[in-house]
Amino acid sequence: MNAPVNPFVARKSSARTIEHIAFGFFRTATYFILICAAVIFGFIFVKGGQTVFRSSFPFVNVPFLTQAPETLYVFQFEGKKMELGDRDFRKFKEERHIKDIPAESYVYSSGGIFPCIVGTVLLVIGSMAIALFIGISSAIYLNEYSKQGRFVHFVRLAILNLAGVPSIVFGLFGFALFVMFMPMLQDFRNPTVLSFPVGFGHYLNFSGWNVCLLSGWFTLAFMALPVVITASEESLKSVPKGFREGSLALGATKWQTIRTNVLPYALPGMLTSSILGIARVAGETAPIMFTAAYVIRDKMPWQVDHPMDFFFQGVMALPYHIYVVSSKIPQNEYTERVQYGAAFVFLVIVMGIALTSILLRIKMRNRYRW
Amino acid sequence: MPTASSTAFAPTRSVGDALLNRNRFRILGLTPDDIIKYFFNGNAIVAVVVLALITIFLFREGVGFFGKSQRDLRLYRLAGLEYVDFIRHEVDEHTAMTRDLNAARLAEFQKLTAEGKTPEQVTAALASFDAFANAFGDSIEDVRGTLSDLSDVAIATKTKARVNEDREEQRDMLLSAGKKEEADKIEIAPVNFAAETGVMKGTLPAFRKVNDQFADKLGAALQSSPHVADPKFQAKIDAVHAKARALIASLPQIEKNMENWNYDAPVPASKAVTSFLFGREWLTASFWQDWYGIVPLFVGSLLVSIIALAIAVPLGISAAIYVSEIAGPREKGIVKPYIEFISAIPSVVLGFFGIAVLGTALRWLSQTPALSWFPGFPMSERLNALTAGCLLALISIPTIFSLAEDALNNVPKHFKEASYALGANRFQTIVRVLVPASLSGIISAVLLGFGRVIGETMIVLLCAGNRIAIPDFTQGLGAFFQPVHTMTGIIAQEMGEVVKGGIHYRALFMVGVVLFTLSLVINYVAQRIVHRYRISIG
Repeated sequence: MNAPVNPFVARKSSARTIEHIAFGFFRTATYFILICAAVIFGFIFVKGGQTVFRSSFPFVNVPFLTQAPETLYVFQFEGKKMELGDRDFRKFKEERHIKDIPAESYVYSSGGIFPCIVGTVLLVIGSMAIALFIGISSAIYLNEYSKQGRFVHFVRLAILNLAGVPSIVFGLFGFALFVMFMPMLQDFRNPTVLSFPVGFGHYLNFSGWNVCLLSGWFTLAFMALPVVITASEESLKSVPKGFREGSLALGATKWQTIRTNVLPYALPGMLTSSILGIARVAGETAPIMFTAAYVIRDKMPWQVDHPMDFFFQGVMALPYHIYVVSSKIPQNEYTERVQYGAAFVFLVIVMGIALTSILLRIKMRNRYRW
Repeated sequence: MPTASSTAFAPTRSVGDALLNRNRFRILGLTPDDIIKYFFNGNAIVAVVVLALITIFLFREGVGFFGKSQRDLRLYRLAGLEYVDFIRHEVDEHTAMTRDLNAARLAEFQKLTAEGKTPEQVTAALASFDAFANAFGDSIEDVRGTLSDLSDVAIATKTKARVNEDREEQRDMLLSAGKKEEADKIEIAPVNFAAETGVMKGTLPAFRKVNDQFADKLGAALQSSPHVADPKFQAKIDAVHAKARALIASLPQIEKNMENWNYDAPVPASKAVTSFLFGREWLTASFWQDWYGIVPLFVGSLLVSIIALAIAVPLGISAAIYVSEIAGPREKGIVKPYIEFISAIPSVVLGFFGIAVLGTALRWLSQTPALSWFPGFPMSERLNALTAGCLLALISIPTIFSLAEDALNNVPKHFKEASYALGANRFQTIVRVLVPASLSGIISAVLLGFGRVIGETMIVLLCAGNRIAIPDFTQGLGAFFQPVHTMTGIIAQEMGEVVKGGIHYRALFMVGVVLFTLSLVINYVAQRIVHRYRISIG
């Protein structure tokens, strides 16, 4: 008579309804975050893609990626609306023997962003090298050599606190230390600052390195340090203890053990997870604002008189350029191209680094299993 | 004298050493292994050294601010600017009331126009109000005249003192460079502050008269104020009435303050500290007097952070719960890296997005009639605290998410099992067992997210609107839609333009010190919470 009732079917109850609603809320919240991020990516990619890509061969806007920023001139000429970069505009006037054409000008809105890309790449490579070197060495000490004690506790506390310091404070610090204070070896005595003679007519002047690559490298590297140390330690910890014990039992010294039995397995992991942290630092603007970045610079970084000057020159950097073009010039159809284009290229560079790191990490996880 | 035991052991040890360390190459008594160890040790110290250097250099550049500020405040008093500011304060209050009246008139004007009246009719309807408003506005004119005269005197005195300071500096530099003759040539005519301020104080009786007239005129204007039909409009007028009465009542006190004022009263060092920490004004490159009060910046930072956290905390924690407890392994494998990936979006790109898209979109949204009931809508500015807060939320979500997810994962498995065994469903388990058990981790996640938000620079610099003023909290929720300036933003914006070593430069470093201290405190509290309340059952 009665249809067989499945005894395992959940009965309707208020607790169940609440559960459903709550889970729905959690799910919505999660996907809301993902969608927000996707919308931002979408906007930058679509609008920036219009600047960077072309529908015809070579499909990429080569001038945008290979030229320096220029001022854009928009003017009416013989009834036509013309847009020309600074150099073309001057040539245009010379060819037609016209002294002056009334034109609206927009700074940095023509030409490309090549010097900024170069500057950013230089900053990232330099700071990455310094941060990886110091960070991995610290991690080796903390994980392999140190014993639990006051000192190690202190170091860990410092690392933890360093991770929370705001980027602008790093900028101030870099400015006060590297730009304004670091010693320079010069062949004259600078009377306004601390100065020590070192012989041969040279003096160590504590006048600072000025706004330059070196200042930016160290500032960024110190900022990335906590991430690199934490990531490297994690990687070292994942190498099984038996590897070390086996090596030590065979009579190898501590360093031989680390070199042959720990680092080869830990290093790939260290590099990949550190890179994610470095991508974040590479995206920072505040620390390089006063330490390494110039608003505009005519020379390319390799155009220096003396090899040493390479380290002591300021560069144009993509994040700072984006800040300048988005805050210092108005928003309109002419300036929009360079704004979205620069944001797009920068996003691609930083996301590229981050994505490589994440993918490599997934691949690595499958490689070593012990 | 060596003890017996030490002599007995010595040979044994050296034999052992010799066996273990045969032919060991040593530099300064260190084996290569020791050297390698100390090398790594040295690198580990770098973190400590950097933290110490940050502290040292921030303070080195920043602490000089207080000395300079104290001297600045002293000059403010000596040159009589403080005296003039008593009058200025009175005038400013009156100006604010006039502005209120104008705003009320504008609102009424728009309302009447919306009701379909012609401009002529509206003007006619508002005629009695306009007469009152004009009388109200004109009543201050004489006080304003006195103010402007005295301002000129005070500024002239201040300029003289400043020129002297510069000359003294120049002379000191020449003297230190050994050029005594040139140094002697620099003439410094000391400023007679007593005489200069004496002239100003001499005008007090005249000012009293002016003030009395002002009070009379203002009182008369208030008497003539019309009664209007619209209750909202009337309420605004009444509010101005109350303020004006208060101003009239405060006039004798102002005069008394002016009488008691003494140009030579000492300025204690604590005044420099309090004027920085509790100063309600950050005003630079002003013709009158620069103020470096951190309060408007601090409030701005806090306001933006509150908005960001109000959005990020529910979203971040919900996502953490979803990913760690509800989502399947595949979904988890996509969502988790994705959210971590968000943390790598450069903040300057987000800031640009805020300027180019979000600000406009939010303002457009606030202008839709359906939402006009919301306090503060429509927004007057495209870039305001809300725009910045929304983007900051996105920045802090990955931090809150990852840490909260870790905390949830760290809850021992048998907690969950015990809860299920008692018949609780998954939601009940999450709310009653998992979240309370990992609460310390979640709170510290929120705190660290807060640290991330308050230290973020580019987004607030680009999107917060950069108006240095304490938001008008009388508007309730509307305060969230006002442009603000922040501590991080002010450093980034003004650092490039200041004179190195000047008071403004040092003030910015002091703001940096405040930020640095704040970040350390947040970190410390987060750690304490994790340690103190971590459940010991595991």
